[in-house]
Amino acid sequence: MKLPASRISQLLFLALFLFLFIITDYRGKDEITVAVNSFFRANPLVLASYVLAVKGFTFLLLPALVMAVCTLLLGRFFCGWICPLGTVIDLVTHWIPKSTSIRSLKGSFKYCLLFTLLVMALFSVNLSGILDPIAILVRALTLFFYPLFGYVVRAGWSGLYQIAGEERDNVAFLYGFLRDYILPFRETFYPLAFLSLAVFLFILVLERFERRNWCRNICPLGTLLGLLGRFSLFRRIPSRICKDCGDCRSHCPSAFDEDILQADNCIRCMQCRVQCRFGRVEFPLRWKRPFRSISEGQGQPVMSRRILLVSLVSGFFLSRAFSFRHPERDRRLLRPPGVKDEGDFLNKCVRCGECMKVCLRSALYPDLTRAGVTGLFMPVIIPRLGYCEYNCTLCGQVCPTGAIPRLPLDEKRKSVIGTAVIDRNICLPYAKKLNCLVCEEHCPIPEKAIRFETVEDIDHRGKKITLKRPYIVDDLCNGCGICENKCPLEGRSAVEVFARKKG
Amino acid sequence: MRRRDFLKLGVSSLLASQLPGTLLGQTAQPVVAVCQGTDHAAITRKVIAGLGGMKAFVKPGNTVVVKPNMGWDRKPEYAANTHPLVVKTIVEECLSSGARRVKVFDHTCNDARRCYENSGIQTALGGMKNVDVRFVENDRFRKTALNGRFLKEWPLYDDALAADVFINVPIAKHHSLTGLTLGLKNMMGIMADNRGYIHRKIEDALSDVSSVVKSHLVIIDATRILTDHGPQGGNLKDVKVLNTVIASRDIVAADAYATTLFGMKPQDIPTTVTAHKRGLGEMDVKKMKVLSFRF
Repeated sequence: MKLPASRISQLLFLALFLFLFIITDYRGKDEITVAVNSFFRANPLVLASYVLAVKGFTFLLLPALVMAVCTLLLGRFFCGWICPLGTVIDLVTHWIPKSTSIRSLKGSFKYCLLFTLLVMALFSVNLSGILDPIAILVRALTLFFYPLFGYVVRAGWSGLYQIAGEERDNVAFLYGFLRDYILPFRETFYPLAFLSLAVFLFILVLERFERRNWCRNICPLGTLLGLLGRFSLFRRIPSRICKDCGDCRSHCPSAFDEDILQADNCIRCMQCRVQCRFGRVEFPLRWKRPFRSISEGQGQPVMSRRILLVSLVSGFFLSRAFSFRHPERDRRLLRPPGVKDEGDFLNKCVRCGECMKVCLRSALYPDLTRAGVTGLFMPVIIPRLGYCEYNCTLCGQVCPTGAIPRLPLDEKRKSVIGTAVIDRNICLPYAKKLNCLVCEEHCPIPEKAIRFETVEDIDHRGKKITLKRPYIVDDLCNGCGICENKCPLEGRSAVEVFARKKG
Repeated sequence: MRRRDFLKLGVSSLLASQLPGTLLGQTAQPVVAVCQGTDHAAITRKVIAGLGGMKAFVKPGNTVVVKPNMGWDRKPEYAANTHPLVVKTIVEECLSSGARRVKVFDHTCNDARRCYENSGIQTALGGMKNVDVRFVENDRFRKTALNGRFLKEWPLYDDALAADVFINVPIAKHHSLTGLTLGLKNMMGIMADNRGYIHRKIEDALSDVSSVVKSHLVIIDATRILTDHGPQGGNLKDVKVLNTVIASRDIVAADAYATTLFGMKPQDIPTTVTAHKRGLGEMDVKKMKVLSFRF
């Protein structure tokens, strides 16, 4: 079997993607030069929803503009040559027997979905990240597969000792390599691991019905690229299944649902061209072959006014349907450092999970409940599990859209996540008259945002004691959460960080 | 060696290890070697030489743990972590005395990777043969009976427990709760889990740990000290350069002497006082034999 160039390209990009994923981590340097965010910065769906939501442009997304222009010229090649999720689908789809395609997904569903997302973005609820294929993949990796991989290797290494004993040292170099370069540094388990896995598996299960089912019928990025690709300079000919052969039906992964080529779904993978026994398939420049509207236009839904209207209405209603905010939960809605405005964050966040992947102390977790449905998968700090490291700026560096701004270190140190509050009902020096001061010791602010007063007191046994009682200096506290994290009380911390309005 | 001699030696050393410090350690006058000078490697070597050289501690084939304080994500000049050059010199001395392996680690407070990197210690020891600078791994803590006054048991780091020689290399700095953090407090770096728990009775807890895990040699880095906002600092105004290194076999004596560098008295530091009362060493500077050197 001949291997088309697209296959090689797919595998290379998948390898690149995984490599970038692994190196999106602290490696002894304060700066990360390249990260998996490149895949989002070159993502036209991220660009489109960003531009609509923010009503502005950012040079961080310039590669996406380039990608859009390339798609305008070449067609929807991203899906067949680059998209790592598409490659994963291609790699597993052979093992999944097919039944018939799902009728309800055919037609205008994907266009309605895409435009609904874009309209919602226009009304400042940017949900496109939830369905962006790259984001789905990164989330599945970050939240589920990567921690699982780390756990399996570590547990396996321990288990090997039970079996092989000292013999294990013979392969210690192998484990050393994995530990130093591949495995996650910290064992972290995430909420929503199950949901992100479920979304990913759902896409694979869709392969039960037809090949590249997700790509041709749902994927909003693919739909957008398909629309852009309509202007491509190259057309695939012949534009329908040849009467004497029909092999393209099985070669083509995405575009021959019917006998006529679905031009929006042609991912330029060149399978048909490579496999064609007669050498008939060509992709000539459009001006060489007169544009034949009959064959091109048919079979794919025209972007009718109806689709736009439906999307406009549904997008508007959906964007307002989940506006309810629970004030109690809002108080614990601790966003990554540098995020000033919740609305702005909602406009820009791609929910890709890179900040969670890179977070040194595993402080960031995907949100389910604190910010409601619209905040799904967006990062929140859970200080009891991990705090924001004072000298670290990594999340701002890897964020593809600048939703978490990239700040110089001294600015980041001062950016306010929230304010710590001491609960005197349980804090040891107050509640039990015991000295503790672990929070004060860990407070990273040089002038100390947690200070203490020394008081003479009589303990519960009647003995005279000197107590050091901590208090918070609100103006200095940046809400990094190390105090909440390190508080030695079991379970609930006696000092907790609450969000505060930022000026 | 005949069998009788061997048995004698074995039994007597076994007994000796069980005797409280008040009987053995303090009958002999504790020696504290102090050296001042801007060449930090030279002054470190000098204090070790003052105690009879590293060969008095490290025998050929020994596994040695050198336990600096590198608990914080701060650069060396901020005086939150032991100076990398001091650590490196000690490691070199161990190796030249025939140590089979030297392990350097700390159970850090900030992210371990950042602490190891920014303390400068990982870089200083990079590429040295037979030296392990590894991050602490959670499954290598071993629940250890302490049977102390406050701590009955606690998971301690296996490498520290298994070492032939344990060299305790703290930096002298201010600490809000205990006044100062020195050798006794540096032992928290071999403790696992929720170490903040011991803050509520830290004097006894630290003595409990040091009663079980002995520091064979304590070398206190006072090349620069942190005088306020410890143990983490972060402000160069709180740093005072003293260019001094202190060494002793007696952890309490080393701590007590280092206290005087801050203009404080050893009896002001409750952890030192408790350790002395519990027979871990001498805290009266007048009763020590202080060898002062200067470069």
